[in-house]
Amino acid sequence: MLDAYVTALGMVLDPYVLFVITASAVYGLVVGCIPGLSATMATALLVPLTFFMPPVPAIAAIVTTSTMAIFSGDIPGCLLRIPGTPASAAYVDDSYQMTLKGKPELALGIGLWFSVLGGLFGTAVMMVASPAIADFALGFGSVEFFWIVMLGLGGAVFIGSSTPLKACISLLIGLLIAMIGMNNPAGQPRFTFESTEMLGGVSLIPMMVGMFACSEVMRHMVSGGSAPHAVVQKIGPIFANMWRLTKQYPWQLIRGSALGTIIGIQPGSGADMAAWMSYAMSKRFSKEPEKFGTGHPEGLIEAGASNNSSLAGAWIPALVFGIPGDSITAIAIGVLMMKNMAPGPTIFVNNPENVYAVFLVFVIANLMMLPLGWAIIKVATRVLSVPRRVLMPIILLFAIVGSYAINNSLFDVGVMLAFGVLAFVLEENDFPVAPVILGVVLGPLLEEYFINSMIKSDGRLIGLVDRPIAAVLAAITIGIIGWTVIASLRGGKPSKQPAQG
Amino acid sequence: MKFNDLFGGLVFLALSGLVAIASWNLPNPSQQPLGPSAFPLILSGLLALCAAILAINGARTTQAGPWIGLADWARSGSALARLLLVPAAVIFYMLFAETLGFLICAPLILIVLFLAGGARPLHAIGLSLAAALVIHSIFYLALGVQLPWGPLEPFRW
Repeated sequence: MLDAYVTALGMVLDPYVLFVITASAVYGLVVGCIPGLSATMATALLVPLTFFMPPVPAIAAIVTTSTMAIFSGDIPGCLLRIPGTPASAAYVDDSYQMTLKGKPELALGIGLWFSVLGGLFGTAVMMVASPAIADFALGFGSVEFFWIVMLGLGGAVFIGSSTPLKACISLLIGLLIAMIGMNNPAGQPRFTFESTEMLGGVSLIPMMVGMFACSEVMRHMVSGGSAPHAVVQKIGPIFANMWRLTKQYPWQLIRGSALGTIIGIQPGSGADMAAWMSYAMSKRFSKEPEKFGTGHPEGLIEAGASNNSSLAGAWIPALVFGIPGDSITAIAIGVLMMKNMAPGPTIFVNNPENVYAVFLVFVIANLMMLPLGWAIIKVATRVLSVPRRVLMPIILLFAIVGSYAINNSLFDVGVMLAFGVLAFVLEENDFPVAPVILGVVLGPLLEEYFINSMIKSDGRLIGLVDRPIAAVLAAITIGIIGWTVIASLRGGKPSKQPAQG
Repeated sequence: MKFNDLFGGLVFLALSGLVAIASWNLPNPSQQPLGPSAFPLILSGLLALCAAILAINGARTTQAGPWIGLADWARSGSALARLLLVPAAVIFYMLFAETLGFLICAPLILIVLFLAGGARPLHAIGLSLAAALVIHSIFYLALGVQLPWGPLEPFRW
């Protein structure tokens, strides 16, 4: 294992990889900072570029961009009361109140410092836990994997969503889209409408770019809106009080990081839900809950650490089982598959250095966040004044060229547009978009595991549950679905925070 | 475009029917007990179930009203026009990128979109050219993607 880590370190410290990490870091910080451009969109727009990179820098770019964007979403929340990404929404009141009290540097410092600590905590858990889980999962057959995928999808639809029925429909649409083409156990062309371009299935990159960038441009065109003005111009020393706060609230830091990691691991809920739940938990256990929402640091610390630790947590099921925890990891899994690094327990045996390289990128990205985050805070008021009506057309052009670039195909540009329109219409009608992408990424795997399991058991459904681990996974999955169905039949939907992105 | 849940449910119900019909007779050359049609059929069944529940819930909760309504923003003609500019721009690119070349097609699209966003004409032109050049350089020079040159072919660099 140590050998593999040394190899991985060599891979990550390559000048080209370090350049990619630095560039993605700056890009992620800037995009996350601009309200209306989400971390998911930042990641999706980057995917066409990663297509042209070797595996390690490609993954490094995705990891770094998402980590940075989740932190810098705190900046407009603090200065403008507009969260830059959904993950910052939970504590936007507290941080904005600090700004109004003339202490923006305190709110931003907490966001930065505790994001880094939370991110490092999540990374440490990931480094210890995922090889162990992978080791355990090596004995899994197609039945167990079938249920793990089911659990991932079930979690995404029934836990991570405020409208389970609509999320379920979104997921089924995604799964059906995954059926297009010849990539199925029988090798038969399905739903291709006699078109040769569709034989290979819907290409993932134009689809992701369309769903997360093109639809975002369309939404902006409708809402319009100009760049809001920040109330502060001057930001004081950022790290001044951080050590004192760390000593004052150590328990909040650990609790937020731990809860965030767990929520990240749990499929279907990501950074935004981690922040909401940690903020609520912090308030619940606080000695002074009445101060929450008035510029009190406690909730900021706990939730700020939580959303960054969840990011690393989400990579555990992504790397070990190939199950995305949220749309960003779904994009990342798409990139891994594209690079012939299909995630799964065997990747820890066959290419451990690649996995360890991912771990090290997380560590580097979080450490790099301190100086670069400091820099972006210093120039934040300028970044915030970049008008979105200038950025959106450029993003659209980038989306067009990015989709085209993969296969030099104008058909892919059409795919991008089609999925942009689909995502826009779905979101207009409160259908969440994340389950669609999960369905498309996991659909081929789910079918393969299902068909293989059925063939092994001669077509009897009992074959899906007659192994102990499979039975346990099946029981959990059915329990989650059953609980949600019963709760919604009883009238009130189970209370949830809005999950998106 | 906003549709109510009854309408949405019926649309998805129809979709599930189409999927079922399209997958019913898929050939199964290897004679496996579960061929290529099995999984899509299961999915279409589940979709039909969800769509039916959505439609029934929609029918119970929504009173008589338009099946397809316009969202608030769409009542303003200018917002709708700006929205339609996005697909129009992409389709324009698909139709004319080969003949006009990227360096003519892309700035044209950007100028229109900038102007629609309320930019001043001179700003729009300058920004469009600059942005198109930067994106062109990223993909053509740094990544080696062949973007179409069109009439600018003699000036290719």
